Amino acid sequence: MTFTSFNFLFFFPAVIIIFYALPYGWRWKFILFASYFFYISLKPVYAAILIGITIITYLFPILIEKAVSQKRKKKILIYNVILILLPLVFFKYFDVINTSLVNLLKGLNLHFPFPEIPFFMPLGISYYTFMSLSYSIDVYNEEIGAEKKFGIVALFLAFFPTVLSGPIERAGNMFPQFKSTLEFNYDKFVYGLQLMLWGYFMKFVIANRIGVYNKNIFDNTIRHNGHSVTVAVLLYPIQVYADLAGYSFIAIGAARVMGIDVMQNFKRPFFATSMSAFWRRWHISLIKWLTDYIYMPLSYSFRKYKMAGIVTALMITFIISGIWHGAALTFVIWGTLQGIFLSVEAITNKNKKAFVKTYNLGDRRWYLVLSCLFTYILFAFSEIFGGAVANIHSVLLVIKKIFLDFQGPVYSESPSTTLFLIFGISLLFLAEIKEEFFSGSHLLVNSKNVLVRHISYSVIIMIILLAGVFDESQFIYFQF
Amino acid sequence: MQRKIIENQLTEIFRDVFGDRSIVINDGTTAEDIGAWDSLSHMIMIGDVEKKFNIKLKLREINKLKNVSALIDLILAHEVQLI
Repeated sequence: MTFTSFNFLFFFPAVIIIFYALPYGWRWKFILFASYFFYISLKPVYAAILIGITIITYLFPILIEKAVSQKRKKKILIYNVILILLPLVFFKYFDVINTSLVNLLKGLNLHFPFPEIPFFMPLGISYYTFMSLSYSIDVYNEEIGAEKKFGIVALFLAFFPTVLSGPIERAGNMFPQFKSTLEFNYDKFVYGLQLMLWGYFMKFVIANRIGVYNKNIFDNTIRHNGHSVTVAVLLYPIQVYADLAGYSFIAIGAARVMGIDVMQNFKRPFFATSMSAFWRRWHISLIKWLTDYIYMPLSYSFRKYKMAGIVTALMITFIISGIWHGAALTFVIWGTLQGIFLSVEAITNKNKKAFVKTYNLGDRRWYLVLSCLFTYILFAFSEIFGGAVANIHSVLLVIKKIFLDFQGPVYSESPSTTLFLIFGISLLFLAEIKEEFFSGSHLLVNSKNVLVRHISYSVIIMIILLAGVFDESQFIYFQF
Repeated sequence: MQRKIIENQLTEIFRDVFGDRSIVINDGTTAEDIGAWDSLSHMIMIGDVEKKFNIKLKLREINKLKNVSALIDLILAHEVQLI
């Protein structure tokens, strides 16, 4: 079961009804039960990996806390990190390492058949691995205490709204909430449902719709002209955004319905006027994780090298992020590109600020719009390497098409699908403009008039049903 | 008195690292108040603070810093240790 499964339509209301019918003390226990039910429904065997990681995540922080010397604490943390990372590394990179070894041996004329192990990566393993690591490191850094209740740790990792794709939460935020009374709060309940509705709109009306178009283009790039390929490349960031932010809204909303606050994962990224601003608004929980547990220790180690140290830390962090997305050359290039973008901005930051101040560009609308567009295009280009297409040959073909093939009109499946696409994206951007620039005013869904509120909900549901694409496609970030 | 001296020295470091001669800091100043104070420039500032006061800060101490007041406390704590 996932958020877009038919079963979830029954699962979620049932969970909420039982959740609020139970006495306070039982509520977190019930969410734990529901979370395992949710996860096991995907594939029971993967729950074994989650349980294994949960046991390690429970025991090691307690051992770290109990260790007398700093040296011993560090030693336990290192074992902890290795043990937690092993399953992720195995599932993510076994195939690549296996194939590379076989090819290497073939090159040496050695035909040694390695066993092929058919498996799929357990959904969510990256996310609960990251959450587990952050908890242990936070205990090591004495930012939080080790949790004594096994069930709370288990719920932290298995919590059904976040288990499949985050947001990558922190123990410091979640443990106290799980232990609270989790009373019914009408405002949170309603806001949670609104977020979920918006998330489904983003997923079905925008992400899946663009997904159909882009699949047509990227699966048969050779048959399409440069104009169509350019449109697909420019649409891809919106597709990923609608997909992952849509998922995040559903996750955050589902948690909020139960009175639990989960961190924001996106903050209108397409209004960012630079790449560094963009990365403060895009996949925030992952970037915060990378910043806290990879970038900060690295930049701390390299701090005496000043800007050179910062650039090195940035490059390493984003290349690791690239390799996390996938063990392929395209993802390494993607990470390197992000590292280069951010390093160039860091190096030129002072001069740029002085330039903007001298010519008073900070208040000029045209300058801000151009900055947003430039940032968007940079990101869209980098995403050609970041999962838009399958491999480096396809990437090269896409780039060749964009710059060399100018024949023919832009591909369109049919006038109605193009209309749906433009309609969905326009609605998304209108809502984002409202949030970004007029956050004081109320959306129609928050109107004081009950009738207006209910009509607004009905219209969004109608749009999802009429303009949505209900195919077999899953959320993009499940694969990571 | 000692806090004021440190604050003045920090002001100079901040102005230099964050590229703004008009920066004025006080106990409550946070990264929110200074536009250029982000996770990139933060560590350069820390490096300069360590050099200026001849101290070595731990990563976990740096992570816990909430504002300028906490940074001054940390510098004082290290100076006490040095003595």
